[in-house]
Amino acid sequence: MTFALVSGVVVGAIYGLFAVGIVLVYRGSRVINFAAPALGTFALYLAWTMTHERTTSWWTAAILAILATGAIALLFERLVVQRMHAASPLAIAVATIGLMLLLTAIELLFWDPSPRFLPGPLEGDGIRVAGLVISPTQLLSLVVVAGLGYGLTQFLRRTDFGLGVQAAAMDPAALRLVGVPLAEVSGFVWATGGMLAAIAALLVEPTIGAFGPGFMTQAFFVPSLAAALVGGLDDVNGAFVGGIVVGVLSELTSWAFLGSSVPGASTVAVFILIVVVLLVVPGGLVGALRERLRTNLLATATGGLS
Amino acid sequence: MTSRRAAALAALAVVAPVLLGHTTGIASVWYRIVAIGVTYALMTLSLNVLMGYAGQISLGHAGFLAVGAYTSGLLTSRADLSFVIGFIVAGLVGGAVALLVGLPALRLRGLLLAVTTIGFLVMMTESVLQWRWLSRGSAGVELPRPELGPISLAENSDYLAFLLLLFLAFWILDEHLTSSRLGRGFLGIREDEQVAASYGIDIARTKLTAFVLSGVLAGIAGAAFGHLALLVNSSTFSLQFSLSIVAWVIIGGLGSRVGVAVSGLLFGIFPPTFERLITWDPIRDHLDNLVLVIGATLFLVTITINPNGFVGAVREKREEKEADAARKALRAGLDDAEDPTLPSLPVPPARHGDLAPGTTVLEVSDIVVRFGGLTAVDHASFEVKAGEIVGLIGPNGAGKTTLFDAIGGFNQPRSGSVRLLGRDLSDLPAHERANAGLGRTFQRTGLAMALTVRENLLLAQYALASYDNLAALARTSAVRDAEAVLGARADEVIEALGFQAFSDLPVRHLSGGQRRIVEIACTLATAPDLLMLDEPTAGMAPAAVENLADRLRELRDEHGRTILLIEHHVPLVLDVCDRIVVLDQGRVIATGEPDAILSDANVLQAYLGERAARQAGLLPDDDVAGERDGELVG
Repeated sequence: MTFALVSGVVVGAIYGLFAVGIVLVYRGSRVINFAAPALGTFALYLAWTMTHERTTSWWTAAILAILATGAIALLFERLVVQRMHAASPLAIAVATIGLMLLLTAIELLFWDPSPRFLPGPLEGDGIRVAGLVISPTQLLSLVVVAGLGYGLTQFLRRTDFGLGVQAAAMDPAALRLVGVPLAEVSGFVWATGGMLAAIAALLVEPTIGAFGPGFMTQAFFVPSLAAALVGGLDDVNGAFVGGIVVGVLSELTSWAFLGSSVPGASTVAVFILIVVVLLVVPGGLVGALRERLRTNLLATATGGLS
Repeated sequence: MTSRRAAALAALAVVAPVLLGHTTGIASVWYRIVAIGVTYALMTLSLNVLMGYAGQISLGHAGFLAVGAYTSGLLTSRADLSFVIGFIVAGLVGGAVALLVGLPALRLRGLLLAVTTIGFLVMMTESVLQWRWLSRGSAGVELPRPELGPISLAENSDYLAFLLLLFLAFWILDEHLTSSRLGRGFLGIREDEQVAASYGIDIARTKLTAFVLSGVLAGIAGAAFGHLALLVNSSTFSLQFSLSIVAWVIIGGLGSRVGVAVSGLLFGIFPPTFERLITWDPIRDHLDNLVLVIGATLFLVTITINPNGFVGAVREKREEKEADAARKALRAGLDDAEDPTLPSLPVPPARHGDLAPGTTVLEVSDIVVRFGGLTAVDHASFEVKAGEIVGLIGPNGAGKTTLFDAIGGFNQPRSGSVRLLGRDLSDLPAHERANAGLGRTFQRTGLAMALTVRENLLLAQYALASYDNLAALARTSAVRDAEAVLGARADEVIEALGFQAFSDLPVRHLSGGQRRIVEIACTLATAPDLLMLDEPTAGMAPAAVENLADRLRELRDEHGRTILLIEHHVPLVLDVCDRIVVLDQGRVIATGEPDAILSDANVLQAYLGERAARQAGLLPDDDVAGERDGELVG
């Protein structure tokens, strides 16, 4: 079971990274970017092509793939999202499905459906925790996730632009009046969302092994959405925590149903989690817990005073 | 569709493929290709019911298809039952599963609902459809071609005949749906849930009905597809496939029966056709994927241009033209007709008939509404008697509309009660209050903007048609008679309004004043005992406002209606109201006849501030200075 817990944290961190990309876009435009995992897969194909058909190093290929994915997301924002300014967020979210279908179709067209493998950047044996070998790439991903999480939070809190991002979806008209560059904010959240998806995909692929067209969508789509929802959908830190929650939940369920005749039990658990969170704590589990904690602390504090 | 036409089409659907199949040498695979298109059209039609009509986004539709295909497969191949039973049970199970998936829709809307439907689908493909006792691992479920007694549908051409019949049945059902109160209920909740509730539409029930109906159709469509494919497994109904169906429906045009059917048909037929026709290898090898790329690009372009799809864009262009023509026609007939006045309308008798004067119609007691820390309505109480016009006035933010919402069941008061004709409505949801006899308009103009004037008038009469959903789908003669009555009433109103030229235009093409008038006509069409108007003059031209006073009096005197009126236009209120209730900061600060209200110190203070009221000589000098004003003066 400890095994499941540890691997839940490792994979959960990746869910969290996807989820943060989704949350950023949601903050900036009230749209759920259904194409986030598809952008991740696309980055894998780009990186694979650079490392296998050229002799680019993993790091160069990864950086180029991340930038290219960000550019694709930005292009989508400029060509589609900006033009749909009069449409509902729901319609734009449906448009992201179009992006996802398009990326997958392009993968099928230019590469073939056969599975590919992209090794990680670091070699070595890794370390053992509770019987589980954590590979160097997994360690790296934990570090990257933590670093990105901290960096993003600071950026959103401390800079004017970051505050603009935080406020962007609330009242566009008012924000324009106070000088928030809404077009830049929108471009930023979509591009960053794309890059985060690329980073997540590159970090998780070596652990999973092979990938194919539309691969990330199949495996990461629903868990990342669940992570974002558990975090409250517009809470960056919440999304990381949500990722861990979902990761641990799915690994524990898989572990509990190991060898039974029920395959994919974790997807059932994640579906139930989504429904329960949305119905019971629509503001997100993390937000609700934080609120509870705050009231309790406040009660203790004021209780102590009286 | 008339029954004679339906019969002719049915005969054609059966005879044509069967005859062609048995007499000509057209390769069997071509019938199969057309059959794929027809099954895709069945799928888009079934999704359109939920997404196009009822506005409930479902990205997991392939899950319902899978349920149908698996059900029919298990029943026909393993239990050896007739395919008739297979299809029927497939529909029933599809409906039942859709009901469960639809339950979260009672609390969730839009994107969040979409997420749960994706979660459902992934659970199906990754787990349920792979359960060993269901599918024997990844091998899947076999679906033999149907046999009915001596008739075997093993030939593709014969099975195509069956599919075409099924398509015809879907089409007719869809027609029945959209021309009945059930279909209008779907459109109502898609357009505006509050307005729908104010017409007595049970939002929760209607949403679930849409899920169930869509699920039943999807179950049958899934079975039809399965018996064509002969074998289905979890990868048949992938997320990719599910999202593609959504794309086809949007490209075809949400809510457009013809559009989505054609779209499904073409997306089914084109890829395999190209594959057979194009023989140039470099393209042929990649044809499948090329079609996918083109399809996805087409989808992106369509939704960027118009979220309602290609058909939506064309429809809107045409409507713009018609709206222009209608405006010109109206202007030619009248001098200053951009904002027409409200004429005398035919008014259906109120639900509880004529009330004896002096009967208490509405009794509001001690209502408190809080939003967070803000008390919007603070222990408000008042009464409205039969045959009265009561004005509810107060400065901006006094809580008038919030109080309206509390009376109508559109928010949750902390305490207090609402009684209509002695019946306690406090615990009833909005639609039941509407059905009890409350009719209301909305400050923001409560109309289904994408529906035509006539459709809005029919929608408003939702609760007045008393047939049930199954009768609606079968379109029994009782349904036809009831619909004829509703239609005649709608036409009478349109004629009285002089809006014939606009009657088939979506109301969003009308001017603000025209919309107000249509809204009032719709609310009157619900046959309410109490008519609650929320700022009816907002958006109206001055001439129309004067005229409104006459109409309100006419409703009271000639039709015996009781009216509660929120209005900022004080001259109108003083002119027309028998009594006035003044609200300030959520509290009722005065109640009385217009003259008394006009000289009430509290009211003047609330409206003008004490200082201004005193300077204008409206307050006696010895009045004690109010705190608020004192602070302001410093």
